Amino acid sequence: MKKKLAILLGIMMMSLGVQGIISLSLAEDDEEADYPTEPIVFTQPVKAVVFDHKIHIEDAGLDCDSCHDDIFEQAAGTAEENGDFTMKSLYEGKYCGACHDGDTAFASNTRCAVCHIGVMGYNRMHKVEGAESEEH
Amino acid sequence: MKIEDLEKMRNEGPESLPSEERRKFLKMGLVVTGVFAGGSVLSLTSARNVYGMLEGIQLKHYPYKPHYSMVIRQDRCIDCERCKEACVKTNNVPEYGYRTTILEREIPIGPEETQREFMPVLCNHCNQPPCVRVCPTKATYKDKKTGIVMMNYKKCIGCKTCMAACPYNARYFNEEKRAIDKCNFCFDTRLSKGEKLTACAAACPADVRIFGDLSDPESRVYKLIHEPERVVWVLRPETGAMPNVYYTKG
Repeated sequence: MKKKLAILLGIMMMSLGVQGIISLSLAEDDEEADYPTEPIVFTQPVKAVVFDHKIHIEDAGLDCDSCHDDIFEQAAGTAEENGDFTMKSLYEGKYCGACHDGDTAFASNTRCAVCHIGVMGYNRMHKVEGAESEEH
Repeated sequence: MKIEDLEKMRNEGPESLPSEERRKFLKMGLVVTGVFAGGSVLSLTSARNVYGMLEGIQLKHYPYKPHYSMVIRQDRCIDCERCKEACVKTNNVPEYGYRTTILEREIPIGPEETQREFMPVLCNHCNQPPCVRVCPTKATYKDKKTGIVMMNYKKCIGCKTCMAACPYNARYFNEEKRAIDKCNFCFDTRLSKGEKLTACAAACPADVRIFGDLSDPESRVYKLIHEPERVVWVLRPETGAMPNVYYTKG
């Protein structure tokens, strides 16, 4: 009897929790649907680099004009197609290097793995089969 | 014991102290500079003034010519895995095994804050290779000239004892060869054909894997390891295997 009660209570709490999450995310969507909420993953020239709009807007306080369309074209994939989306360009102040210069934000030639999520990170995000076994 | 008494004693040298023990002091910001009376009295100094540090590494002489070695500049690795791709292509490595791979971990960098770190691993071509010691058929051996830990596939009986003995998990059983396979610094596929770098080192876009002859003072590996102020370490020094793959940052 006690067990049944506990299970019932558990189910109730879970459903409440789920509802909470749904209502929260709905509220967020209403307020800020003006930027992509999913992180962008670049695969050129190396696999893979992550860019999260959320962090740059909410934590760093940037807005759309900060980067678009001077530093980055708004159309997805443009930077990767340009052929100069490289670390060298970043060091010259292009693309991410416009801010990641050691002054405004951490320098492009430091803390590599903050942005570089690698093949393992890419596989995790895209749920590639066998990704788990590679992580040990 | 008084300092004057200690000064009169013979310094037995910190080498006799296990590296694990030395690590403990290093974590406290101290370096063992001497061992007295069988290790019961230690002479310590602040690590702040110590320049480059070689953790668990004994650099006395390099017994091979060329003494092949790799220095991994760990913090530069971005897990693009071009090294893995190049290795697979060059050495015909099957999908179920690897000669080199990348490990991943989150390292704490502050309160509640971590940072991703990638770590390339491969055979460490140890000077005292545990795999060679345990092989019952001498199928795996230390090449007398280059120091590369090699495989004689014909002699291998597939008992996998070497796999269990390896501190670096650098061996796998190759179903096609019916033998253990492992990294040999691309000796058969590249070095013996005049190439200067292993496939993984040549493929790395971030200059993580520095390969060369440790006995040559002009080589990049020698210069990196002997650079003052640079901290260099090896993996699992406590096994006493004396690896030839070194790790550093920056």
